Amino acid sequence: MHAGTDRVPSRRGPVRGPQSLVSGLVLVALALFAIWLTSDLPQGTLRAMGPAMLPRWLAVGIGLCGIALVVVGLTRDGHPLEGFSLRGPVVVGIAILCFGLTIRGFAFGALQVPQLGLLGAGPLAIFISGFATHEARFRELAILALALTSFCMVLFGDLLNLPIPMYPQVFADLYPSGWSSDARLRATAGILVALAVIIFAATHRRRRAAEPIDVVPDEHAGTI
Amino acid sequence: MGDLIANLGLGFGTVFGLIPVDIPGLGVVPIPLNILLCFVGCLVGTLVGVLPGVGPVASIAMLLPITFKFDPTGALIMLAGIYYGAQYGGSTTAILVNIPGEATSVVTTLDGHQMARRGRAGVALGIAAIGSFFAGCVATVFIAAVGAPLTRLALIFGPAEYFSLMVMGLVFAVVLARGSILRAIAMILVGILFSTVGTDLETGQERMTFGMQFLSDGIDFAVLAMGLFGVAEILRNLDHTEVRDVVKQAIGRLLPSMQDMKDSAKPILRGTFIGGILGILPGNGAVLGPFASYTIEKKLAKDPRRFGQGAIEGVAGPESANNAGAQTSFIPLLTLGIPPNAVMALMVGAMTIHGIVPGPQVMTKNPSLFWGMIASMWVGNLMLLIINLPMIGLWVRLLKVPYRLMFPAILMFCSIGIYSINSLPTDVFFIGLFGLIGYALIKFGFEPAPLLLGFVLGKLMEENLRRALIISRGDMMTFIERPVSAVLLVIAIVMLALALLPSIRKSREEVFVDD
Amino acid sequence: MKKLISIAAAALGLVAGAASAQTYPQRPITMIVPFAAGGPTDVIARIVGDHMSRTLGQQVVIENVAGAGGTTGITRAAGAAPDGYTIMMGHMGTHGAAPALYPNLKYDPANSFDTIGMAAGTPIVIVAKKDYPAGDLKAFLAHLKANDTKTNMAHAGVGSVSHSTGVLFTSVVGIKPTMVAYRGTGPALNDLMSGQVDFMTDQIVNVAPQITGGTIRAYAIATPQRSPALPDVPTTKEAGLEGYEVSAWNAVFGPKGLPADVRAKLVDALNKALSDENTRKRLLDLGGVIPEGAERGPEALQKLVESEVARWTPVLKAAGAVAN
Repeated sequence: MHAGTDRVPSRRGPVRGPQSLVSGLVLVALALFAIWLTSDLPQGTLRAMGPAMLPRWLAVGIGLCGIALVVVGLTRDGHPLEGFSLRGPVVVGIAILCFGLTIRGFAFGALQVPQLGLLGAGPLAIFISGFATHEARFRELAILALALTSFCMVLFGDLLNLPIPMYPQVFADLYPSGWSSDARLRATAGILVALAVIIFAATHRRRRAAEPIDVVPDEHAGTI
Repeated sequence: MGDLIANLGLGFGTVFGLIPVDIPGLGVVPIPLNILLCFVGCLVGTLVGVLPGVGPVASIAMLLPITFKFDPTGALIMLAGIYYGAQYGGSTTAILVNIPGEATSVVTTLDGHQMARRGRAGVALGIAAIGSFFAGCVATVFIAAVGAPLTRLALIFGPAEYFSLMVMGLVFAVVLARGSILRAIAMILVGILFSTVGTDLETGQERMTFGMQFLSDGIDFAVLAMGLFGVAEILRNLDHTEVRDVVKQAIGRLLPSMQDMKDSAKPILRGTFIGGILGILPGNGAVLGPFASYTIEKKLAKDPRRFGQGAIEGVAGPESANNAGAQTSFIPLLTLGIPPNAVMALMVGAMTIHGIVPGPQVMTKNPSLFWGMIASMWVGNLMLLIINLPMIGLWVRLLKVPYRLMFPAILMFCSIGIYSINSLPTDVFFIGLFGLIGYALIKFGFEPAPLLLGFVLGKLMEENLRRALIISRGDMMTFIERPVSAVLLVIAIVMLALALLPSIRKSREEVFVDD
Repeated sequence: MKKLISIAAAALGLVAGAASAQTYPQRPITMIVPFAAGGPTDVIARIVGDHMSRTLGQQVVIENVAGAGGTTGITRAAGAAPDGYTIMMGHMGTHGAAPALYPNLKYDPANSFDTIGMAAGTPIVIVAKKDYPAGDLKAFLAHLKANDTKTNMAHAGVGSVSHSTGVLFTSVVGIKPTMVAYRGTGPALNDLMSGQVDFMTDQIVNVAPQITGGTIRAYAIATPQRSPALPDVPTTKEAGLEGYEVSAWNAVFGPKGLPADVRAKLVDALNKALSDENTRKRLLDLGGVIPEGAERGPEALQKLVESEVARWTPVLKAAGAVAN
């Protein structure tokens, strides 16, 4: 896990505090980035401060802190770098991305994602993010995804009345035209709960046998 | 004094009074409508407060149409209930899952969540409820007694004073940090830097927005907080299988013991005082209350190292300050007609919709509304206590859900909550991005709390700095010539010296010790 | 699992069969308000939307999409399907000043929308700190001119109503005061009350309480008639200032391409709302100005938008106020 020490470039003898060194370098990089970003803005005078004055001085301060940390990392014994696992951040990142893309639909150049509303985005986010840990179980996540989405629909849509897209319009049109939007919402939530219960009941007996297959092997958890 | 009692009498009379309501099937029946509305408000407020992201602004806005049916007093009592209910509910989320819903509950995550990890979630929630109740009671009397005269104090605060106040707040952030001071300062600076993203207020030029429209209004606090705290915490927990489950050991007491109460009594008193005073400032001074309270408790403690490890004083003080500030921030609204924050701005809208002009005239023109609202605050606090103490058991039991199911649920609530604020999918992407940044920060040994504090205070600091310098025509002396500003700056310098001193005394190198 | 899917499919199929032809409106209508809840535009949208719901028989749901001087919400609404289920409350800033302030604006106020009609305007009032050494507007203007760079004018941020109308004021009067920006009207008023800044211009609904409370003073209201909310405040013309008549108007728009019958229903609902006694009273209490007769309706609004864009663009461009 602690692969940091030999990855850090060291010309001036052994690095004694790799964590400090690397975090110092990150701060310096951030400072340079901020200075570059504000380079086209006027700094102004004290009497009429321009938009760039404060960010630029902050960047200088951050850079100095970074340099100090680099010095500390080179001269004093400190913590090694902690290992990064890839699985968690990548999977959770994808889950959040999927939620954002599908909740209201998204158009970005050639990329066109249809609006799925909470009905699509919710289960998608739960299901994908669930696999961020190697303990993920397919059946559990399926039930959780359905039940929680149903709960959220009633909570956010019905009780709190927040303007969140609940389902694609095509889906809402499936209901009889006489139904009010609240009735459609509740019916949808009911269907989801029913599905969750059906999955629970249908797989209840076979759970024991299925368990070993459900557990995803550990080898995906990588480090850098 | 006689006036005060008469006024409070009028207020409580309004709150408890029976109002004839036409109930279908029963005819016109007198029912205690206002007290019911107060209860509903507190209940809804607690609910939306607990949900990460869904703040009081969204819920008050959504409930506004419902209040059209009531008279203004009842409507405002309900909306006020949502406001302080949400303040309280936000602390619950901060303690249980380490997500601060509001700027004011950032501090609660520091020790509150640590208490939860040590099996003391119930105690933390309990002391937060009790502290808030006490603070609410004191603040109510305080508003009733000296609210109106104190608004003059608010007018002493100009841009120069607010700048100095924010500098003092940033010094608090250094003190509040657990580890290396160097790293804390770096994080505060990064936080202020984040706060400068977006359209420049004075010139309208865009700063560091990469030309993207959704960045032109800057980074939203809720997005940053949810990413750095909520998502990053999940990512970190996923790394450590062994400590992941929030409550590993058996849940201990559900309510604070006598010893806990004794430890918390003075912090609650101090927190109430500090939060109450800062809440009066119309420039959103309430936001500083919890930070100030935490800093003071940590300075006064015999063993400051306990802070950040689940010290009960670190929950009791800031929570009291939070609630006292929430309460007293009604003063500038009711007496000056100036809303100190977004929720209060919404209350102004609610009042105008109901045909009431907020401002100095409310007290004389609508005395029953004014005093009724004040009395309802006390009643509301009592209700919050009644609603929340029994709920503690439920919340704590929620922590027993296996983490592999808990974190997808938290993620889902965060995503929905953040989307509901502005209906922007980009906000959802950003909690993911800040989550990754927060995860990296933790790995590099940085703390997110000073960053968030720098972010909250940074914006106010820059705006007021520039405003003060424009008004003084570029003369820096304005910060020293104005007495209140000078005093605040001196306090800041003294606090900074006290924070640095122990390390300097031990050895010059200690400041840079990276631990 | 197969069995499950077939059950679910059957359930959905049953429901689908019942769908039939529909007349507008079949479901709640979203009105996008491009500002935070609680502000003047939001309040007007809620009051008008409340009554429109009754005429249309479906809830008009207010959705606040704030940001970038209101252009974020309007950009979103402009891109919505023109089915009448998404409409918006545009205002002076988003449909008048925005083209000058935001060069990268993704919509054209005059051509990207189907106008529904004007809802209500809120007049602009010229206010100053309460001990400003001038008895009336003439003395105030003279004092401003004599102390040009020494005076501080507050505004609620580049792109806000108080900013645009303030810039217009300085150009009409011909002064260059020092501009002090605030985040919103509240903090600006606070500093006006404490005398940190000297004057500002803002919507009546924001400043009326302080004026009647005596904590700030009003010199004139920028409308042809006095406002019942502030009967003692003279109009700019009465007080001797020509060429400064301005109000922050709020109007309902739909995305371009609304079906004619849908548009007609919305126009009718808005018209009925503005004729309703209770709604009128609530709007007037705010200090609002309700459009009458020829001022109502989609054609009048279309003309207004075109004239407003023509009015604001040169003024704001000359002042160099660009919000990028």
